[in-house]
Amino acid sequence: MKKIKYWFSALYVIFIMASCTKVIDLKLGDKTGELVIEGNITNVRAPQYITLSRNVPFTNANTYPPVTGAIVSVTDALANFRQFTEGPPGTYSIGRLTGQPGNTYTLQVTTNGKTYSAVSVMPAPVKLDSITSVINDFKRGNNLRDISVNYLDPVGVANQYRFTLSVNGVQVKRVFTYDDEFINGKYVNLELVQNDIDIHPGDTATVEMQCIDKPIYTYWYTLMQQQFNGPGGGITPSNPPTNITPVTLGYFSAHTTQSKSIIVR
Amino acid sequence: MIKPLLLVLILTFSISAFAQKNYIISGTISDKSTGEQLIGATIRIKELPQNGTATNSYGFYSLSAPDGEYTLVFSYIGYETVEQKISLHKSQAINLGLPAKNQLTEVVISSNKPNNDNVASAQMGAEKLDMAQINNVPVLFGEKDILKTITLLPGVKSAGEGNTGFYVRGGASDQNLILLDEATVYNASHFFGFFSTFNSDAVKDVNLYKGGMPSDYGGRLSSVLDIKMNEGNNKGYTVQGGLGLISSRIKVEGPIVKDKGSFMVSARRTYIDYFFGISSDSTLKGSSIYFYDINAKANYHFDDNNALYISGYFGKDVLGLKNTFGTNWGNSTGTIRFNHLFNNRLFSNTSLVFSNYNYVIQSFQTDDSFKATSQITDVNLKEDLQYSMGNRHTLKFGLNILHHTIAPGNITADAMSSFNNKSIEQRFGFENAAYIGDNWRVNDKLTFLYGLRLSGMFLIGPGTFDTYDNAGNILTSKKYASGASVKNYFNLEPRFSSSYQLNDESSIKASYNRNTQNIHLLSNSTSSTPTDLYVMSSNNIKPEISDQVSTGYFRNFADNIVEFSIETYYKWLQNQIDYKDGAQLLVNQSVESQLVFGSGRAYGLEFFIKKKYGRFNGWVGYTLSRTELKFDAINNGSYYPARQDRTHDLSVVGIYQLNKRWTFSSTFIYGTGNAVTYPTGKYEIGGLTTFSYSERNGYRLPSTNRLDIGATLEGKEHKRYHSSWTFGIYNVYGHANPYIITFRDSKTVPNTTEAVQTSIFATQIPSVTWNFKFQ
Repeated sequence: MKKIKYWFSALYVIFIMASCTKVIDLKLGDKTGELVIEGNITNVRAPQYITLSRNVPFTNANTYPPVTGAIVSVTDALANFRQFTEGPPGTYSIGRLTGQPGNTYTLQVTTNGKTYSAVSVMPAPVKLDSITSVINDFKRGNNLRDISVNYLDPVGVANQYRFTLSVNGVQVKRVFTYDDEFINGKYVNLELVQNDIDIHPGDTATVEMQCIDKPIYTYWYTLMQQQFNGPGGGITPSNPPTNITPVTLGYFSAHTTQSKSIIVR
Repeated sequence: MIKPLLLVLILTFSISAFAQKNYIISGTISDKSTGEQLIGATIRIKELPQNGTATNSYGFYSLSAPDGEYTLVFSYIGYETVEQKISLHKSQAINLGLPAKNQLTEVVISSNKPNNDNVASAQMGAEKLDMAQINNVPVLFGEKDILKTITLLPGVKSAGEGNTGFYVRGGASDQNLILLDEATVYNASHFFGFFSTFNSDAVKDVNLYKGGMPSDYGGRLSSVLDIKMNEGNNKGYTVQGGLGLISSRIKVEGPIVKDKGSFMVSARRTYIDYFFGISSDSTLKGSSIYFYDINAKANYHFDDNNALYISGYFGKDVLGLKNTFGTNWGNSTGTIRFNHLFNNRLFSNTSLVFSNYNYVIQSFQTDDSFKATSQITDVNLKEDLQYSMGNRHTLKFGLNILHHTIAPGNITADAMSSFNNKSIEQRFGFENAAYIGDNWRVNDKLTFLYGLRLSGMFLIGPGTFDTYDNAGNILTSKKYASGASVKNYFNLEPRFSSSYQLNDESSIKASYNRNTQNIHLLSNSTSSTPTDLYVMSSNNIKPEISDQVSTGYFRNFADNIVEFSIETYYKWLQNQIDYKDGAQLLVNQSVESQLVFGSGRAYGLEFFIKKKYGRFNGWVGYTLSRTELKFDAINNGSYYPARQDRTHDLSVVGIYQLNKRWTFSSTFIYGTGNAVTYPTGKYEIGGLTTFSYSERNGYRLPSTNRLDIGATLEGKEHKRYHSSWTFGIYNVYGHANPYIITFRDSKTVPNTTEAVQTSIFATQIPSVTWNFKFQ
């Protein structure tokens, strides 16, 4: 269904042969200095990171001031309390935590006298069977490839997934998130359709598969909807609904993760 | 509410009953050469200036006058005015054919003065399009288009470049009731809105009501666009058509039984896909991309008192990529109407109307093949009666029983596919209405057009109906049996317009209207998409309600050749619909949990000056307006500009007939940019540059302006054959109007972001069409 939407947009673009784009100067508002929290807990035995930063004006460079000196902790459903320590400025980590599927994690961040909290449940992992390269349907003439992820969706439970795709070590700047609304219990071959990086035979493609909970899916899905600039300009953008209270930018996600790489053929 | 109104009606009728003995003149008015009935032609009595009337949708009129000698004046725009002397000593029928003005030979103003109907009539906020004028207005790719032409009127705004969607007085595009021979057309566009579903060859009459809606219309908040198809020539056969850049069209019409019945069939198809067939790009080669539509109509007049009309429309868009996916969508409508004249005062029309919109999306790839379908089907039984009461009242009343079936989504997939079968419960409901309205000419200065419409929405089973909390979780869930009542809504909609004529050339008018809407389009995209989804009012969705007041000053100049008006309006909107962030609308059983509800207000001032006659004609329309919405969850619950809010909107249309063969035309538009949401900051999440937003629609796209020109060259006159060429240039000075502005990581300067404006027709687009006619 998602792919169909992409095709709609693409065919529509063919039609608009007289279209043109240009970079313009706009006077944009400045509501910056807001706290951004990005927190992830995974099921892989590795350091877990929570990063704190602030948003900047549109016209600035893409560098974001870290928020230092915060008190950051994660507590699980069994009341195991873990304090995170600040490494590089704004990056808070813990080295010993392996997230458990089914466990509920609560993030707590205190900075500037204000405490933020968020709850996320780590879903059961779903095995990423394989990733394959397929011919890009849309630009058939150009010998381009798309990457397809293949897995068996567990029957009877609601699953949500997020994928990240890297080509030769460079992340594709797109959000890929899907639920099993239409595919519950099926063996899935899902193409990660994108137009950010052209993928050629010989490239190395790496896919990370995350199993995420429902609120985090809604978070990513909102961002994904906003990146479709289809007929009429898509939907009105907004900050995606966060699971952090009080509301601030960002999210806290407890998810499972696994990665696979292939040489594109 | 009903009681006092009935009392007033009875009282006024009894007064006229005491008046002196009147005789009735009734009949139909048609085009003399084709027999095509004329809608809205005026009939007046020279000696009794206030005793005028106009023909209804079937060309029928009825008026009365005391015993005496009179001169009847029959007139209609684009036709010669005919005067006929009568001795009125008994009621009589006069059926008349008006000769069309021969545009090739006559360009001087007719010696008959144009009438001052726009000043005298109580109707306000209404505009009747002159089809001859539409044919001269230049349009994109030379495809004549009713929907694009109406956006040149004040108070009507285009939803955007290359978009047939329109906003009337601040209403959203789904708040327009678009009727083709009384059938609702749900998706009035082809190809994502670039073209309208209405083939102007098949269209006879277009009326737009943006305020002062008569009580016989209902079901949408902001406007009614009432389109009537041609009946077909009942005198002789003609074949006409055209070859254009994008599409070709053909129309055949002729008598079934001369002077008694006729038929008309009109069809059109695009052929961009044939160019793809010869393209060297293998992707394009395997793709299909086209639309077609067919209009057909037939009528038969059994005698002077009974006539039957059957008409239909079928249109389809097809879009697909070979062996990959295919999709098609379209409307179909069918209307059967029976006119019966009970007597020379009471006219009845009974209609049975069918309307359907559906879409199909199919994937053909073996590992993810599926077929998704969705549709809405209406069956509508209408009874409309018109009664001419004395010479001061024209009464309209009727009943309407409309049955909706909505199949929101159905996915079928084979066993090999990674998709599951999924079906969303169908929804059934009735939208019923009863109405009464009266056009009361109190004296030669004061006219009232008033009425009342009672609308009822009945949502019925079978099905499981849920209610939701604010977070979208199911609160209650209840199963209903087939036919069981789930939720009913009743609304009384008063309609009132009045005009007070200051003198022959000027009047002031005022109106109040309530409209309600029980069928709602769910789409979180700005333009028309094939996957438009409709829902009925339900236990979660209340009927949308609009109350509009408007006043106006109408003034004609130069013997009614130039019409001028200023209208102002204020609208209150209730139960407006928006979507939660991340709303999933497609094939979703709980789609109603994705909605939020709020209110709105719209107000504005419209200026209109129009020269209808002469070698040089055209109009200037200007609107100053504001449209704001209010939702608890958006902008902290304060008013914010709706997307369709446009402060200034200017349209200039000029048509100049140089000589018998050449006509030139030009349109210019200027509009404030749409209200849009721009980022007020940026941050990084998941390795992606992400933008932060602080207020909804707090910014404006740059303003839009564009000049189009056109020219028509009429071929030399032949007895049985006529041809013409239409030339056009869209966007003469190649202005890059903003279509959308997007924000992204810069492609040139690393580690920065940029704003990018996309314009879709940033250059001159020429067009040429060849038209022909055999008779």
